[in-house]
Amino acid sequence: MLLEFVVSLHLLTGDYTSGTYQYVANYDLVPAYGIAYTVGLDGISLWLVMLTTFVTPLALYASWTSIDTKVKEFALCFLFLEVAMIGAFIALDLFLFYVFWELLLVPMYLIIGIWGGKERIYASVKFFLYTMVGSLLMFVAIVYIATAYRELAGAYSFDIRKLSEVVLEGKTQMFLFGAFALAFAIKVPMFPFHTWLPDAHVQAPTGGSVILAAVLLKMGTYGFVRFAMPLFPLASHRFAPTLCVLAVVGIIYGAYCAWVQKDVKKLVAYSSVSHLGFVMLGLFSITRQGVGGAILQMVNHGISTGALFLLVGVIYERRHTRLLADFGGLAKVMPLYTLLFVIVTMSSVGLPGTNGFIGEFMVLNGTFLSRNLPTPFFFALFASTGVILAAVYMLHAVLKMFWGPLDNPENQGLADVGGRELTVLAPLIAMVFLLGFAPSLFLDRMNPSVEAFLRDYNRKLQDSNYNDNVHLLKAEASRSTTQQVALHVGDGQ
Amino acid sequence: MSEWIFAAPLLCVVLGGLAMMLVDAFVEEKSELATTTAVILIGAAGISAALWSGDYGTAPTGSLMVAWLATDKLALVSDVIIAVGAALAALIAGGYLKEHDLERGEFYPLILFSAFGAMVLARSVDLLTLFIGLETMSLGVYALVAFRRTNARSAEAGIKYFLLGSFAAALLLLGSAYLYGATGHTDFVGIAEAIKTGAADSRLVLLALALIIVGLAFKISAVPFHMWTPDAYEGAITPVTAFMAVCVKSSVFVVMVRVFLVGLAAPELSSGSSGWPPALAALAALTMVFGNLGAMVQTSVKRMLAYSSIAHAGYILIGLVAAAKIGEQAISAVLYYLAAYTVSNALAFGALVFAGSSKREAVSYEDLAGLGRRNPMLAIPFLLAVLSLMGFPPTAGFFAKYYVFMAAVQAGGGMVWLAVLGALTSAAGAYYYLRVLVFLFMREPAEGAKVAIPMRSGYVITAMVFAGVVVLQMGVAPSSYLDIASAAAKLFT
Repeated sequence: MLLEFVVSLHLLTGDYTSGTYQYVANYDLVPAYGIAYTVGLDGISLWLVMLTTFVTPLALYASWTSIDTKVKEFALCFLFLEVAMIGAFIALDLFLFYVFWELLLVPMYLIIGIWGGKERIYASVKFFLYTMVGSLLMFVAIVYIATAYRELAGAYSFDIRKLSEVVLEGKTQMFLFGAFALAFAIKVPMFPFHTWLPDAHVQAPTGGSVILAAVLLKMGTYGFVRFAMPLFPLASHRFAPTLCVLAVVGIIYGAYCAWVQKDVKKLVAYSSVSHLGFVMLGLFSITRQGVGGAILQMVNHGISTGALFLLVGVIYERRHTRLLADFGGLAKVMPLYTLLFVIVTMSSVGLPGTNGFIGEFMVLNGTFLSRNLPTPFFFALFASTGVILAAVYMLHAVLKMFWGPLDNPENQGLADVGGRELTVLAPLIAMVFLLGFAPSLFLDRMNPSVEAFLRDYNRKLQDSNYNDNVHLLKAEASRSTTQQVALHVGDGQ
Repeated sequence: MSEWIFAAPLLCVVLGGLAMMLVDAFVEEKSELATTTAVILIGAAGISAALWSGDYGTAPTGSLMVAWLATDKLALVSDVIIAVGAALAALIAGGYLKEHDLERGEFYPLILFSAFGAMVLARSVDLLTLFIGLETMSLGVYALVAFRRTNARSAEAGIKYFLLGSFAAALLLLGSAYLYGATGHTDFVGIAEAIKTGAADSRLVLLALALIIVGLAFKISAVPFHMWTPDAYEGAITPVTAFMAVCVKSSVFVVMVRVFLVGLAAPELSSGSSGWPPALAALAALTMVFGNLGAMVQTSVKRMLAYSSIAHAGYILIGLVAAAKIGEQAISAVLYYLAAYTVSNALAFGALVFAGSSKREAVSYEDLAGLGRRNPMLAIPFLLAVLSLMGFPPTAGFFAKYYVFMAAVQAGGGMVWLAVLGALTSAAGAYYYLRVLVFLFMREPAEGAKVAIPMRSGYVITAMVFAGVVVLQMGVAPSSYLDIASAAAKLFT
C-alpha cells in the first residue's frame, strides 16, 4: 500500500493546467451496451486519490495492535476497499463508477460487522441498507440517461464526457437529479439522512472509522461535483437553495449534537456531519471560491477527522472507554498526546495557520458571493455560527479530557503516544500545516479543473434554460418558497 | 431430415434416462450414477451448443418435427440452461443423498425425465406439446418432492404440490381448449394468424388468456399463485429444491416467451389496457413486493431462498412485459436473467447442502452461525451466491438486473416505475440476503447449540466451483453471454 502511495505521487507530475482529464485509459467491456473501462484524473479527483492512498496505509498501520483476530482477512478487506475507492474516484464511465461505488460497500460492511464494537451488526446492516436504497435508485437513473443518450446519439454510452452533452427536459432532470442526489446525500451524509453515520462510526474499528470519515464520505460530495451537477445543471440549479438550506441545518444540527455527546467518537462523528455541511454549501454556492473551497475542505476533513479518529483510537486502546466523563487531567500523564490532540482540534476548528481555516474561509467567501442563492448573506451568517459552535464542542471535549484534576485513578500511569502511533500521526500533522501555510500547492492544480467545471456548468445552464422556458418560471416560484424555509430555519435558531 | 438433428439433445436426455434405470440395477456405488447423469446432461447441453453455428429456420414448415418442437436458437439456449441446471442439481444430489442415506436409484432417472419434460416444454410451439412437456416435467418433480418418503413434511409437500399443480394444469388445459375453440388452431403461429385476421371470438380469447396466465403463473410461483412454493421448497430435499427453482422456472419462462410473443402477440392483446402486458405487470409488481417481504421474516434459510425465488420471478416478469414493446432486447434480458439465476441459485443451494451433514442438516440461520470462521472455503461460495442473488457487482445477478431494468426503461411509460419498484424491492431484498452474511461471518453459535458440520463431497464441490466460475464470469465479462442471448432473441422475433 505504501508502494501504491509512491506510485500515486507520480500522478502529481501530470499537466493539470488545462482542466481536462489526464492519464485517460479506455477499454471496452460490453461493447453492445457501451460499457467501457474508462478512467482518468483531473485536478479534482487527483487530490481525492492522493488522500486515499495517503490515509489507507496509515489506517491499516494504526490497526497493527488493535486488530488481533483474523488479521489476514482484515488486510484483505482493506486492499479491496482501496481498489474500490480509487476506482470510484477515477472512473469516467458512469457504469464503472457504479460498480466501484457498490463494491466498496462489501469490505466496509465486513470491517464494521466483523471487527466492530458491541452493536456492530446493527450498525453494519444499517450502513449497508441505507447506502443500497439510495444507490439502487441512482442505478435506475443511470440506465435512464444511457437510454436517453442512445435515443439521441444512436448508440449506448456511459462515458461521462459524452453523457454530459445530453440536455434533458426539465422535469426529467428533476427526477434523475433527485435519484442521484438521494444516493449521494446518504453517503455524504446530509441532514436528514445522517443517522447511519454515528452508529457506523462508533461501532467500526479505528482503521475503519478513519477510512469511513476520510474517504468514504467524500464519495458522496465527489459524486455531486463529478456526476450529478454536470449531468443535470438545471435541476441542480433549482435544487441548490434547498440543498444549501439542508447543508446549513446540517452544519448547526451536527454541531449541537456533537456538543452534547458523552462519547468522544460519537462527538467526532457528529462533527463530520457538520463539516460536510460546509462542503455541500460550498459546492452548491456554485462560485469559484465555494467549489474550490469545498474540494479543499474535503481533503482537509479527511486529514483532520482521520487524525481525530486515530487519536480517539489511541486512548481507547489504553482505557477501553471513550466516555468524556472517564477522563480528565490527561495532559499531566500524556503531554505529547495532548499536544497532538490540540493541534488536530485546531485544524478541525479552522484556526488560521492550519488547513481547516483555508477551506472554511473559501467556502464562506464563496457563499457570500453566490448569485445562485436567494439571500447569500443569511446562508453565510448561519454557516459561520457553525464555525463558532465547532470551537465550542471541540474545546469542550479538550477541556473535559485533558485539563482539570487527574481524579480517576485508572488514568494515572497511562503511557504516552508510542513510536508506532507517532509514525502514523506525524504525516497527518505535517499535512495539517502544509495545507495551512501553502494551500497554493494544492489550489494551483485544482483551479483549472474547477474553472472548467463552472464554465461548463454555466454554459449548460444557459442551454437548458433556453430549451425549457416553462419550467424556469416554476423555478422562480420555488425560489421564493425556499427563501421562506431559510428564514424559518433562521427563526428556529 | 436435417431438422431431426435438433431432437438430438432431447433424445440424449431421454435415452440416457432409460439407460440409467437399467444401469441402476447393476451398480453398487449409487453416487456414481450422479456422475453419469451429469455427463448425460452436459452431453445434451454440448450437442445443443454444437448446433449453435448450424442452420436454422430453413426447415420446411410442413415437416413433422417443426410443427411440434421449435428448432431455433432460443430452443438451444433454453436446452443449455435447463441441462446445466439439472446437471448441477444432480451433482449436488450426488453428495447429499449419500450423506443422508437416501441413495435410491430412481432419483437420477426422475431428474433426467423431468429435465426432458422441461426441455420439451421450453421448445413447444403448440398447445399440445406445451401440455405434454409440462406434465412430463411436473410428474417427475412431484415424485422428487416426496422423495424422502418417511418424512412427514416431505410427503405433505409432495401432496400439496401435486394437488395444486394438477389444479393449475387443469386451468391451463381449459384455457388451451378455449383458445382452440376460438381460433381453430393449436399451434402458436396459427393462433396468432387467426386472432390477427379477426376470425377468432375475442371474448373467448380473453377468457383463454386469463386461464393460461393463471396456469403458467402457478408454475413460476408468481404472487398470488405462490402459496405452495415455500412449503414445497422446504419439504423437498435440497437438491430437488434447487432443481425446482432452476429448471422448472426457466423452462416455464421460456415457454411464456413463446406463448405471449408468438401465440398472443396480436396488437389488440399485446398493447393497450386489455391484453396480457398489464396483467403480467401487475403480477410482477405483486410478486416483487410480496416475495421480498415474505423472505424478510423467515427464520429458515431454505424457506428464505424459496421466497427469494418468488421475488426473482417478479424481476423476470418485468423483462417479459417489456418484451411486448421492445421485443428482442427484452427477451435477451430475460434469457440472461434466467442463466444468471440458474447458476446463482445452484451455487446457493449447493453451499447450503455443503454446510450440513448427516448429523445435522443446515436449514436455519442459526445453523450457519460462525461458519465463515470455521470453514472459510465454504463461506466464499455462499458469499458469492448471496451477492449475486442480491444483484451486486461484479456478479452475474448484477448484470441480470441491469439488463432487465434497462429493458424496462427502454420500453418507457409506466414501465419506468416498474423498474423503480424493482430497484426499491431489491434494496429490501438486500436485508435478508445480508442476514446470511451476518450469520456466516459475524455471529458465533449460541453456547451449547448444535452446529452444522460441513460435509465432504467432491460432487458438491465440483458443482459449486462450476457455478461459482460462471457467476463471476457473467459478472466480469458479460459480453459473450449477452451476445448469445441476443442472437437467440433476434432469430426468434
